[in-house]
Amino acid sequence: MSGLARRAEPSGATAAALAHRRRAIPNGIWGALLFVATETALFGTLIGSYFYLRFTSSQWPQGGVAAPSVALPLALTAALVLTTAPVLLGARAARAGRRDNAIALFALALAVQASYLAWQIVALHDDLQRFSPRATAYGAIYVTLLVLHHAHVALGLALEGWLIARLSRGLTRYRVTTAQVVAIYWVFVNAVAIAVVATQVSPS
Amino acid sequence: MAVLDDAAVLRRRRVERLERVWEERSGLLGWLTTTNHKRIGIMFFFTALAFFAAGGVEALLIRTQLIGPDQHVLSPQAYDEVFTLHGVTMIFLFVIPISIGAFGNYLLPLQIGARDLAFPRLNAFSYWVYLCSGIFVYVGLAIGQAPDAGWFDYVPLASKQFSPSAGIDFYALGLIFTGVSSTATAINLIVTTFKLRAPGMSLNRMPLFCYAFLAVSFALLFALPPLTVATGLLELERRLGLPFYEVGRGGSALMWQHLFWIFGHPEVYIIILPAFGIATSIIPTFTRRRMVAFPLVAIAEILVAFIGFGVWAHHMFAVGLPTIETIYFAAASLIIVIPSAIQLFAWITTIVTGTPIFKTPLLWIVGFIVLFIIGGLSGVMFAAIPFDQQTTDTYFVVAHFHFVIFGAAVFPILGGIYYWFPKVTGRMYHERAGQASFWLTFAGTTITFMPMHVVGLLGMPRRNYTYAPGMGWTGLNLIETLGAYLLAGGLLLMTANLLVSIFRGAPAGEDPWGGDTLEWAISSPPPVYNFAVIPKVTSAYAMWDAADRGEDLRRLARGEMVLADGHEQPASTTLDAQLDDVLEMPTDSIWPLLLALALAGVFTMLLTGHLTTAYVFGGLALALLGCWHLKEPEEAT
Repeated sequence: MSGLARRAEPSGATAAALAHRRRAIPNGIWGALLFVATETALFGTLIGSYFYLRFTSSQWPQGGVAAPSVALPLALTAALVLTTAPVLLGARAARAGRRDNAIALFALALAVQASYLAWQIVALHDDLQRFSPRATAYGAIYVTLLVLHHAHVALGLALEGWLIARLSRGLTRYRVTTAQVVAIYWVFVNAVAIAVVATQVSPS
Repeated sequence: MAVLDDAAVLRRRRVERLERVWEERSGLLGWLTTTNHKRIGIMFFFTALAFFAAGGVEALLIRTQLIGPDQHVLSPQAYDEVFTLHGVTMIFLFVIPISIGAFGNYLLPLQIGARDLAFPRLNAFSYWVYLCSGIFVYVGLAIGQAPDAGWFDYVPLASKQFSPSAGIDFYALGLIFTGVSSTATAINLIVTTFKLRAPGMSLNRMPLFCYAFLAVSFALLFALPPLTVATGLLELERRLGLPFYEVGRGGSALMWQHLFWIFGHPEVYIIILPAFGIATSIIPTFTRRRMVAFPLVAIAEILVAFIGFGVWAHHMFAVGLPTIETIYFAAASLIIVIPSAIQLFAWITTIVTGTPIFKTPLLWIVGFIVLFIIGGLSGVMFAAIPFDQQTTDTYFVVAHFHFVIFGAAVFPILGGIYYWFPKVTGRMYHERAGQASFWLTFAGTTITFMPMHVVGLLGMPRRNYTYAPGMGWTGLNLIETLGAYLLAGGLLLMTANLLVSIFRGAPAGEDPWGGDTLEWAISSPPPVYNFAVIPKVTSAYAMWDAADRGEDLRRLARGEMVLADGHEQPASTTLDAQLDDVLEMPTDSIWPLLLALALAGVFTMLLTGHLTTAYVFGGLALALLGCWHLKEPEEAT
C-alpha cells in the first residue's frame, strides 16, 4: 500500500519547472489516508451493529452477564493512545533525517503496543471464562469487536517491526514515506481504540 | 522546411527513447506481471464480459423457466441458485468490475493526461483478486454448492439452520474477497485523480467522466465496509455459532437487512454513476457542443453518491419500521431525484441544443436516457410508502430495477464499448450493424421488462420458480421471454460486429469522432507510455483546444515534459494541478499475482474450515507483501 517514492531531483527541462517548493502530499500518504477512511467505516459499522443490538434488546448485557470492568480497559487504552506521541515523533525524525531517533521512537512505541496487546489477550481470555460468545448476541458482538481491534494492533506491530528493520538499513525517501504511513495507521488504530473501549464499557 | 524536418526527427528520437524505456515483457509472462493500466483494463474487460455471458445465460434460463405456467426447465432448487447467481454475477462480477476496473482503469489516466495509475502494482493486485474471487464464487456452482438465498441473502433463510450447504459461505466469503479488489481500485482511482492530472487540469477543468468515477470510488470506500461486516458476521454465525442474527439468542434478523441495504442502495449509484460518466463523454462529442451546466452536473454526480447513503431503508418499508423512520427515508428517496434530474435535463438539453449525430454510441445514450426516465419514474413511486408496501416482492420491483440497472447502467457501458472501440483496437466497427444491435437490444429490453410492471401489479411474486395457469400472467410472461431472447440476439450481434471489426475494421486513426478529451490526442491503440509529451491543459475540453495540442508537438521537439529517463510520471497539486513532482513508476511485478493467490488460499481455507492453514496463507500473504516492498525506486538518500 505504501506509495511510490519520489525522485530526489528530476533532470533536464523539468528541473526548472520544479524549482519551487513541492506542496503535494505523496501518493503513499494519500493511499494510507483513504485506507484508514474505509477502515473507519468498517469499525463504525461494527460499533453501530453493537448499539443496534443493544437498543433492540430488552436486557444488556444479555444473558445475565455482568457489565464489564471499567478501570483496566481504560488504563490499557490510555497506554496505547499515549504511543501516538512516539509514533508521530518517529515519523517526524525520519523526515528530518534522524534515523537513529526514528528507530528508537518506533521501538519504544512497539514495546508499549506489544505489551498492550499481550495484556488485552489475557483480559479477553478472562472474559471468555465469564461468558461464551456463542451464548448471546452481546457476547458475540463484544468479542468480535475486541478481536477485530486486536487484529489491527497485531498488524500494526508487524508493520512497525518491518519499518524498524528497513530503517536500520538506511534512510531513503521511500522509507520516510513508509514511516509516515505507519504513523497514520497507528493514529487510526489508537483513535479506534478509544471508540472500541467506550463501546466495550458502555454498559457499565 | 529544414527546421520542420529537424523537429520531426527530434520528435521521433524522443518517442523511440520512450518506447525503449517503457517496453513491456511479451507473452504470457508479460500479462501475468503487467502493471500497465491499459493491459489491466483489458483483462478486467474480458473477465467481466465472461461473467456477463454467464449472468446472461442464467437470465435466459430464468426466462425460459417462466415462459409458461408449470414449466420444469429448472427444479425449484436450481431456480433459486440461478436467480441468486444471476444477481451476484451481474452486480459484483460484471457491472462494477467493467465500470471501474475496465473503463476506469483504461480511460481515466488517459483522460487526465497521465501515464498510469498512482499505484500500478496495487492495480494489478486488484485485477488478480477480482479474477480469483469470481472463480471462487463459481466454484460453488461447479461443485453443486451454489448460493441460493437471493443476491441480498436475507437471514434467517441464509442461516445455517435453513441453508446448511456451503453455498451461502461461497457467497459471503466471495463478496468479502471481491470487496478487496473494489476497495483497492477505488483508492487507486481517487489518488490518481487527485495527484496525476496533467499540468493545468485544475479540478474545474477535469472531464465529467472523471468526476463520476471519483464519486463512485468514494462511495465504494464507504459502502463496502457495511457489506463486509454483514457477510463477516454471517460467516461467524454460520461457522462458529456466534448469534448476531439469531433472534432466539438475542440477535436481530433485521440487522442483516439494515447492514445489507446500507451497502446495497449506495451500490445502485455505484453501478449507475459510471454510466453517467460515460454519457457525459459521449454526448458532447456527438452533439458538437459543450455539456450544458457542467458545474451543476459535476456537483450532481457527487451529490448522488452522497445522498445515496441516506435512503437504504426504502428497501425495507414492508418490514414494519417505525413510521417516523419510513417517512424520513421516503423523503430522502424523493430528494435524491433532484441531482439525478439535474443530470438528466443537462444531457437532454445538450442533445437538443447541439447538432446531434446519431452514430451508434449516441444511440445507446439516447436509449439509456429513455430507459432511465422509465426506471426513475417507477423508482420515485416506491417512495410512496403505501404503494411500496403493495408492490414489494412483486415483478413490479423487478421491472423497476432492470430498467435502472440494465437500461440505465449497462446501456451506456455498451455505448461506451462502441465509442472507445476505435481507440482501444485502432479499428472502426461496422456502423449499420452497430445501430442494428442497439435497436434489437433496446426493443428486447423494453419487451422483456415493460410487461413486468403489469404482471407485478397483477400480483405475480418474484423469486417463485413457476406459476399456475389461469392467473392472467401467462401471455405477458411469454412476451417477456421472447423479449429476453431478442435482447440476447442484440448482444450477440454486437459481439459479432466487434469481433469481426477487430480484424477487418477500417483503421480508426487517432480521433475518429472529434472527441473532446485527451485520449483522442494519442494513437489508436495508445502507446504503452500513453503521452509522448505530458499535455498542458487550459480548459475542460482539452482536445478541442487546437492551439494547446499544437504546442504539445512543439514541446515534444524541444524535449519539454517528455520525461524519458525512466518510468516517469508527473504529479500535480490537488486543486490547481500545478506541476509538483516527477514520480518514478514501478515496472512489471509478479508480487501482485502471488499475493492475490495467497489471499485466495486464505479464503479457500476459511471456506473449508481449515483455520490453521488459513493462518499459514495469511502469514504467506504478509511475507509476500514484504517482498513487494523490498525493491525501492532509485533515489538519492
